[in-house]
Amino acid sequence: MKRRDFLKYLGIGAGGLGAGFVLGKASNPPGAKLIPYLIPPEDVIPGVANWYAGVCTQCNAGCGTIVRVMEGRAKKIEGNPLHPVSRGKLCARGQASLQALYNPDRIKGPMRRISKGGDFTGISWEEGLEILSGNLAKLDKDAPGLYMLTPPLRGHLNSLVNGFMAAFGSPDYFQYELFQHRNLIAANRLSASLSEIPYYDIENTKFLLSFGADFSSTWLSPVNMSYGYGRMRQGGQGKRGRLVSVEPRMSLTGANADEWVPARPGTEGILALSMAYEIVSQGYYRGADGGAWKSVLARYRPAEAAKITDVGEERIKRIAREFAETRPSLAIGGECVASYENGVSGLVAVNVLNHVAGNMGIKGGVVPNSEGFVEGARRPDLKTDRISTLLKSASEGRVKALIVYNTNPLFTAPKALDAGGSLSKIPFIVSLSSFMDSTTAAADLILPSHTSLEDWGDDFAEPAVGTPVYTMNQPAVSPVFDTKGAGDILLAAARGAGGRVADRLKWNTFEAYLRESWQGLYKRNRAMASSAPTFDEFWSRTLQNGGWWQEAEEPRKRAVYVSASGAGPHLPQSPSRFEGDEKEYPFYLVLYPHAGHFDGRGANLPWLQETPDPMTSVVWGGWIEINPKTAGGLGVKEGDMVTVDSPSGRVQLPVYLYPGIRPDTVAMPIGQGHTEYGRYAKGRGSNPLDMVPAKEDGISGEIALNSTRVKITTSDMSGEMVKMEGSTKELGREIVQTVSPEEFEKMPKDAV
Amino acid sequence: MEGILKRIAEKFRDYRVPGYYKKFDYRWTMVVDLDMCNGCGACVVACRAENNSATVGKEECRKGRALNWIRIERYVEGEYPDIKVKFIPIMCQNCSSAPCEIGCPVYATYHNQDGLNVQVYNRCVGTFTCATYCPYDVRRFNWFTYKWDKPLDEQLNPDLTVREMGVMEKCTFCIQRIRVAKDRAKDEKREIKDGEVKPACVQTCPTGALVFGDLNDPESSVSRMARNPRRYRLLEELNTDPSVIYLKRVMAEGPSEREG
Ligand code: SF4
Ligand code: SF4
Ligand code: SF4
Repeated sequence: MKRRDFLKYLGIGAGGLGAGFVLGKASNPPGAKLIPYLIPPEDVIPGVANWYAGVCTQCNAGCGTIVRVMEGRAKKIEGNPLHPVSRGKLCARGQASLQALYNPDRIKGPMRRISKGGDFTGISWEEGLEILSGNLAKLDKDAPGLYMLTPPLRGHLNSLVNGFMAAFGSPDYFQYELFQHRNLIAANRLSASLSEIPYYDIENTKFLLSFGADFSSTWLSPVNMSYGYGRMRQGGQGKRGRLVSVEPRMSLTGANADEWVPARPGTEGILALSMAYEIVSQGYYRGADGGAWKSVLARYRPAEAAKITDVGEERIKRIAREFAETRPSLAIGGECVASYENGVSGLVAVNVLNHVAGNMGIKGGVVPNSEGFVEGARRPDLKTDRISTLLKSASEGRVKALIVYNTNPLFTAPKALDAGGSLSKIPFIVSLSSFMDSTTAAADLILPSHTSLEDWGDDFAEPAVGTPVYTMNQPAVSPVFDTKGAGDILLAAARGAGGRVADRLKWNTFEAYLRESWQGLYKRNRAMASSAPTFDEFWSRTLQNGGWWQEAEEPRKRAVYVSASGAGPHLPQSPSRFEGDEKEYPFYLVLYPHAGHFDGRGANLPWLQETPDPMTSVVWGGWIEINPKTAGGLGVKEGDMVTVDSPSGRVQLPVYLYPGIRPDTVAMPIGQGHTEYGRYAKGRGSNPLDMVPAKEDGISGEIALNSTRVKITTSDMSGEMVKMEGSTKELGREIVQTVSPEEFEKMPKDAV
Repeated sequence: MEGILKRIAEKFRDYRVPGYYKKFDYRWTMVVDLDMCNGCGACVVACRAENNSATVGKEECRKGRALNWIRIERYVEGEYPDIKVKFIPIMCQNCSSAPCEIGCPVYATYHNQDGLNVQVYNRCVGTFTCATYCPYDVRRFNWFTYKWDKPLDEQLNPDLTVREMGVMEKCTFCIQRIRVAKDRAKDEKREIKDGEVKPACVQTCPTGALVFGDLNDPESSVSRMARNPRRYRLLEELNTDPSVIYLKRVMAEGPSEREG
């Protein structure tokens, strides 16, 4: 809304209409209301803020947000204090998400490509939707070849997309994102019969054993888990929880650990099982099937595992005993383990360790969530719904039309998969994304969608918090540019198609679809129905609160069983494989999501570009982490540009001397190296995914990021690394003072 | 007339000594529990978003001119594999005996009745004195008048100004939020309640490492935490009397790898 228009509306508003109506008018049919958080719609008072509840989309955690809106503009975003996942907090990326809304490089309106390979030209929405309908009408009725690609959506946009695809008679809906926890889902299905990702109760645990799970910056549910971490350390509930971190490259979480165990890359699963063996053989295991476990685990005796994992036998045993003796304890397996070629088996091993230590289904351990998915929605089918399958179909010419929404495989899929080449075989690609990312730049038609702050939506957090969390997202501001909601675009396309398709998708707006779907939820869910006498009241309360969840009750206890015969076949047989001959390529390559840019999506936000990386303080660019000793051997100093070669590709990056990494390993953050994606992201260093081979986990289809070796040579390419830190030494100034755990135990606690 | 001048001179002398307010209305205090902070940096972005801090770009960052009011320092001890890392968020310590206040020739930085070290932007002439006197390196100078690429400026917080070239800035303990709370409390004829004011960094900190409140109120959370035996203040030997209290990190001595 232009400021002057706004003042016009304000004139009406002063006549007694609500803020909701004022804002609603621009984006919604007459009569629709936006209901602000806590404060019921009142007149817009200049200088007085309204808060609207929503959900953060910067990662998959699904944190509930509230947006501070003054005079129609979003000023600040905070965590929703009522929301069980975010608990009033947000991470750095969530805080920066306002800059996605007001990003100068957003796509400002519909565009079409003038000719194959040519430039884009701006068009009207009518024209854009006509082109879309025209192309969809050309599809064969029986084998339409219509493909859809979205991120792993969880709310009713997912079910709408399914309805849309079904109406067109196409089964080919794909969900892809670089970090979508397919391995974690697969491991929990295979070994613990859990259909969803459980809640890892860090808050109440007393011993947290992390296998490469960097929840402090990016893994799974960073805000919720960091909240738990703070409470685990100093929650005032008795003993301070201990954290041990197993990972070849010290992550932010590893940096906060009491003990860092740099196991050899690809052997973490074996290490977990050797601890499990120790626990079972020392008689800590309570189950009746101890014998079965002992024989399954016999291959992983600490003595042998020590040689494979490069972790001392006594150390394995000590950690194992501590893990079993400390009640409750909790092991988590994160991105680093999931990113190996045998990622699923590594995570199954972590489940086994939790099981034998008695951590399954208990407070402070692994707490199963009740099913949070909506009917009609669908989770990715791990067998068929793979990005590699989609790309294969495309390269074989079976994809006649592709609709892509807010996912960017041209950046996030390893170059070796040749996503660009495959997509170029598709005769018609339409992108519904809000930004000109690499994939959108390869489209024929761009129908830009709203960002989440302008759109309706909902989300069903996974993991939830032991009880389900349904989050509602309403528009906080009217659209900044000439965009539409993704759901509304699909409904319009269905209307354009007419006939059977239009009949099946009869809703005028996505908001109406959402409301009707929630009405169904309300009718079926007894707890929901009892929370409000009428649906209207339930709906407005849901909009006010930012969703629906049960009052803080104790999570339901549910037995979770990991059986030796069930998990046995999925255990890692050997260390994960790395491409490349050890002599030619001496270093393991470990990739991880950048704390600010995540899978690359945050790189277009200047706040995140200028926020120093927590572990290196580097801003506005990428780097490669090398152990100082290794660098000495290679003859490179900090800031030098090096060429990194894997059997699959090459990148060039500046060196950061990183003491917290194995000398035989190098690491890089993912997130930079965009060739598109706006002025802030474009042309900042290399994309490490250029070096990753085209490998995926056989069971889950997750891309194996950590599956190659590399070699390093000096480069004469110019490039500069800017870091914000001075010295990392305290030089006797006692800046961060410490007390030992023993001393801490003796300190009076009542003073706190 | 002479009497008035004399009184002004007296007042002037009064107000020129650090700690001139013998009793503060509130004594705003931040407590940072270093055993909870995990160095995530959410506070850094939250502060930026709340306080209209400009982004300066890579080149200016290289010159050390980034305008963040809070930073996470990281200290690394030892060598592989016995590495120990410690994080500490550092913002303006709002010292009650602030070295920066003594230096400023135009009184752009002074102490207010709430115990805050305040910066008056339109009085600042950019002599840089305060920044050289500050032992905590928290003052940030606007070398240019930075622009927001449109429409990023729509986000700017109307509760405080943007700064121009030649002006020094720093963490204010989110004074605009304190003002709002004070106004509301005044209207309702009461004192500000504990927890009512949350600076942006405190509000978002996922681990709950940051707590803010009034040290004059013996029952407030910060007062309780200030009695924690882990308490210390940064470079306390300089006698700056900071309003930020840190609680020591719990960390074992010696190498992290304890074989056996
Ligand atoms: S963890 Fe951060 S990025 Fe992810 S949803 Fe929460 S606030 Fe957003
Ligand atoms: S947000 Fe909190 S946990 Fe994160 S760096 Fe800041 S103080 Fe530490
Ligand atoms: S108190 Fe406010 S100004 Fe100071 S560091 Fe925190 S957010 Fe920034």
